[in-house]
Amino acid sequence: MTSQMQPTTAPATAPEVDEAAGITVEARTQGQMIRRRFIRHRAALAGLITLAFVIVLSISSIGIDPPLLPKIPGWWDKDFTAIGAVVDGGSPTLSVVPTFLGGEGVQLGEHPFGQDNIGRDYFALTMRGAQISLMIAFIVGIVATLAGTLIGALAGFFRGWAEAVLMRLTDVVIAIPLLAIAAVISRRAGEIGPPVMAVGLGLVIWTSLARLVRGEILAIREKEFVEAARAAGTRASRIIVRHILPNLIGVIIVSATLTIAVAILLETALSFLGIGVQAPDTSLGRLISEYQSAFTTRPWLFWWPGIFIITIALAVNFIGDGLRDAFDPRQQRVRE
Amino acid sequence: MTETYVIVPEVDAPAGELLRVEGLSVNFPTEDGVVQAVRGVDFTLHEREVLGIVGESGSGKSVSAMAIMGLLPKTARISGEVYYRGDDILTMRPRDQRDLRGRKISMIFQDPMTAFNPVYTIGDQLAEAVLAHELMPRKKAMARAEEMLALVNIPQPKERLQSYPHEFSGGMRQRAMIAMAIINNPDIIIADEPTTALDVTVQAQILETLNEVKDAVNAAVILITHDLGVIAGTADRVLVMYAGKPVEVADTDPLFEKPRMPYTAGLMGSIPALEQSAGASERLRPIMGAPPSLINLPSGCPFSPRCPLATDICRTEEPPLAATDEPEHVAACHHWQKLAEVDDPTQFFRAEGEVVR
Amino acid sequence: MLAFIARRLVVSFFVLLAATFVMYLLVAFAGDPLEELYFDTSPNRDAKIEARTEALNLDTPVLLRYLGWLGGVSGCVIPGAECDWGLTATGQQVSTLIGGAIGQTLQLVIAATVIALVLGVMGGVVTALRQYSSLDYSATFAAFLFFSLPIFWVAVLLKQYVAIDFNNWLADPVVSTPVTIILGLISGGVWMMIIGGDRQRKQATFGIAAVASAAVVWVISATRWFEDPSLGPVLVALMAIGSALLMTALLAGFRYKRVMYATLATAGVGIVVNLFLDSIVSDPSWAIIALLLLITIVVSGGIGAAAGALLRRQAVTASIFTGVLTAGIIYVDRLLAAWAGYASSVGGRPIATFGARTPGFDGGYWQNTLDTATHLLLPTIAIALISFATYTRFTRASMLEVKSQDYVRTARAKGLSERVVNTRHAFRNALIPVTTLMAFDFGAVISGAVITENVFGWQGMGKMFIDRLFLPDPNPVMAFFVITGGAVVVFNMLADIAYAYLDPRIRL
Repeated sequence: MTSQMQPTTAPATAPEVDEAAGITVEARTQGQMIRRRFIRHRAALAGLITLAFVIVLSISSIGIDPPLLPKIPGWWDKDFTAIGAVVDGGSPTLSVVPTFLGGEGVQLGEHPFGQDNIGRDYFALTMRGAQISLMIAFIVGIVATLAGTLIGALAGFFRGWAEAVLMRLTDVVIAIPLLAIAAVISRRAGEIGPPVMAVGLGLVIWTSLARLVRGEILAIREKEFVEAARAAGTRASRIIVRHILPNLIGVIIVSATLTIAVAILLETALSFLGIGVQAPDTSLGRLISEYQSAFTTRPWLFWWPGIFIITIALAVNFIGDGLRDAFDPRQQRVRE
Repeated sequence: MTETYVIVPEVDAPAGELLRVEGLSVNFPTEDGVVQAVRGVDFTLHEREVLGIVGESGSGKSVSAMAIMGLLPKTARISGEVYYRGDDILTMRPRDQRDLRGRKISMIFQDPMTAFNPVYTIGDQLAEAVLAHELMPRKKAMARAEEMLALVNIPQPKERLQSYPHEFSGGMRQRAMIAMAIINNPDIIIADEPTTALDVTVQAQILETLNEVKDAVNAAVILITHDLGVIAGTADRVLVMYAGKPVEVADTDPLFEKPRMPYTAGLMGSIPALEQSAGASERLRPIMGAPPSLINLPSGCPFSPRCPLATDICRTEEPPLAATDEPEHVAACHHWQKLAEVDDPTQFFRAEGEVVR
Repeated sequence: MLAFIARRLVVSFFVLLAATFVMYLLVAFAGDPLEELYFDTSPNRDAKIEARTEALNLDTPVLLRYLGWLGGVSGCVIPGAECDWGLTATGQQVSTLIGGAIGQTLQLVIAATVIALVLGVMGGVVTALRQYSSLDYSATFAAFLFFSLPIFWVAVLLKQYVAIDFNNWLADPVVSTPVTIILGLISGGVWMMIIGGDRQRKQATFGIAAVASAAVVWVISATRWFEDPSLGPVLVALMAIGSALLMTALLAGFRYKRVMYATLATAGVGIVVNLFLDSIVSDPSWAIIALLLLITIVVSGGIGAAAGALLRRQAVTASIFTGVLTAGIIYVDRLLAAWAGYASSVGGRPIATFGARTPGFDGGYWQNTLDTATHLLLPTIAIALISFATYTRFTRASMLEVKSQDYVRTARAKGLSERVVNTRHAFRNALIPVTTLMAFDFGAVISGAVITENVFGWQGMGKMFIDRLFLPDPNPVMAFFVITGGAVVVFNMLADIAYAYLDPRIRL
């Protein structure tokens, strides 16, 4: 793990040295530097690969069934709703111990993650849960990022009463515990469908980004290069596009990533409480909720979705950390 | 003031010699390579002497000072010897080193706005410097702090003890910093760019205060600056640093009149207001280019890429610090004679045709 | 500063007011309280619908309904006015519903916050001081893991492994040899990382810690300590002396002995007094405990002042901390003495998995406290994990930032020891931004309480909220929002006060 975390924490150097070192490094573009720093953050890179793997696995295995479009089948032959006979108490057939080590050989078997009490294939169920949870998390991330950026930017640009109103609105939403307000919204939205619920959740977790964006804009406005552009008669829209947006992009991307991590946990928590995704559809949280009482008899029903939630959340958190380091190596705060 | 313990026995040091630095080198390993911040610094500081150290940023002057104070980060690799009254500071036990720090050798930092802890009063922070080295009632330490504030010309010192740093102006804070530096009657005050962060009008006052108080406590001063103007009025002797090494050492007047290293001459040509010897032109004659990378130093003399006098030997062989035409005036240049031959050594640097100050 | 807090309070009040309005609309949108009755097949269905419509004013427009509700609730904050939280869907008073729930949730939330804050700040400081060590990397990874753990999942795991399996083990509290060895090795590794140093020192630390820990585990197993756990006077004395030395090391150092004499004297007084306390604390009330704590603080402060001489300030602080720690050790010792009795009265399964206390249980002060503690244990851990990670990371970042500040360098240049630089200058300043985190984190803790209360069957505000949201039943749900929102405001204010106390720059 030491090596994994190494890039997060490059050796500290005296300020004098930073100056001196700065002279030697040949000029790289901002983008190149960001990419280089991200790739050197090994935990983030591992997170990215893991996340990509989970996404590809969940989509390719059982396929997707988008509304209005034809269903695209996956390589896994069982449906997550199909009820079947419970084989061998429903225990998992996945084996990773090779035969020459005395195991059963590396194989998926008939039901790699086992079966639930009515014989549904748990691999298909877990994949479906992962799909839904990921979809919700990404929609939440996008909606929250758009809303947060918009509100923060409006407050930062227009100041005056617009700022006052928007920032007080932010305060109002912050004053309410996130899970509670999300639960109220999901109460109805969850029944309508996961995408609606996702949009609803996105509309409540934009607050920290809005504050960050506003703060950044206020700080950038005061910088000399913006003053100079303004003094030179540059149009406001051009100042925004040329000077302010590029400086904001790091904050926004990092925040979007961490929002996705929060959203994964939020959605699964709500679904666990029974307020999120509704039957017959499922999500990782719902699976845990349904089978928590089976913990002693069929522990795999509890472990698989949990492992997927943690894997996804951990991967996204590491990606976010890597992105933050890449965009702003000096900023060390974890979660504002 | 009574000392409760004395750690440093006075041995082996010639009379009047306070600090002797020999072959001081500091390296920082970084991701891009080893930064050679200081590459062999030698100098001697005598009692009550003011030694100026001049150089551009990154020349290693501040790092040298930090090495003497033992304030470099743990990643720094330090070699060489720093003798304080005959004892090598670098090989001392950390605790003995700490006892010197702030008591025998004290330091004034560049930025008075950030050098004080914002959450404690000025009085607390001054008294803390006393109490760090001596067990005494707080009241007594506070009285001493008040005395020091008065000495550096802070009005109403008694009331000011209760003030927080943010209630002081920049100049006042630097005065308080000086007060803190002298509160234990040190032998050496290291002033690292003490006026750089201040308004020009305040700069002179601070320098004057520094001059006054060093006489009051009989301390020697190492004055680090990039501003030759500051040196000219204050220092007895000057050490010019370039790329981590001293390149010229001389008494102040000879150095300014007859620089024997093109870099020194170039520095003088870069200053608009400095009074120069007869025949000096009114135009700025700046040094072209930038200081070299401390990771990949150019071969030969590190100044050669920017030097108007550079020849082939300069690019292959780094000149040692050697005696020149005057006693006690040493310079590291293959061509110091060329400078000696002309009246105005700054003339080698091309005047900027268009830019008139 | 008073004006500052007053202004914040007024702003917060209006923010809260606006929040209730938004939430009222959202709750109204969330579902129809009559929903379940539409599927009712009983003959008096229409009467039921009418009664519920009447009780909840469903026939008035939502805005008017909000004003009516607000009028009733405002009575709870205006002195003298009647407090009316409205009726539930079944016609009960909401106030009876929330009465007991608030206490349970408060207990949970405060316990989790305090534990996360104290341990998190400590963890942050230690990892910052050991930056780039294996301890730092492990803590970083652990923090990321905690950030990524679903609370409900952890809660179910805790229920199984910490409660059920531990309770099973208590029936025959013997540790097998392999487990003893593994525990010893783990402990050795952890201590090695915490203490650090060069290779040789690490190996020595590892060896000593591993053997010592394994020995402790072996003794615990061999004596069947868990059947009737207690520290006994000798261990209490040793731990008290240990805390005296620890406090001296942290707050004053050993260069001048005065402070050490003061803390040792304080610990000694504590040890001796403990021998004569039996009659007073056999079944005390909370008031007596509080009084004893107060006496402890006064006496230890006095010892510090008397013995401190020129170092009076440090001596008083260190003595008070030593006194409180010693008192804490004695308290734990007495609590453990009640363990066997408590365990047998709950059927040998002391770690609870359900509810906030054993129904109808009353075994005197010590057993009741144990009862509360064993019920609090699991949900508190589940909630505190994330907060702990947040505080650790935040404190670490804050501490590292402060350590690179110029004034820390100034402090070193004065000749202060690393201990003073780290405590007086770095730590003190690093705490300032942590206070703002406290306010943010409190909301997260409440969210966590909603989940854990449901997993562990606490009849708290969070469980009430989810249960009533299901129906849906708007008035209890709104009561939850008002109370948690009010708690967040109060907590924000506490954070503001802490900030102002720590940072003189905002006192202006």
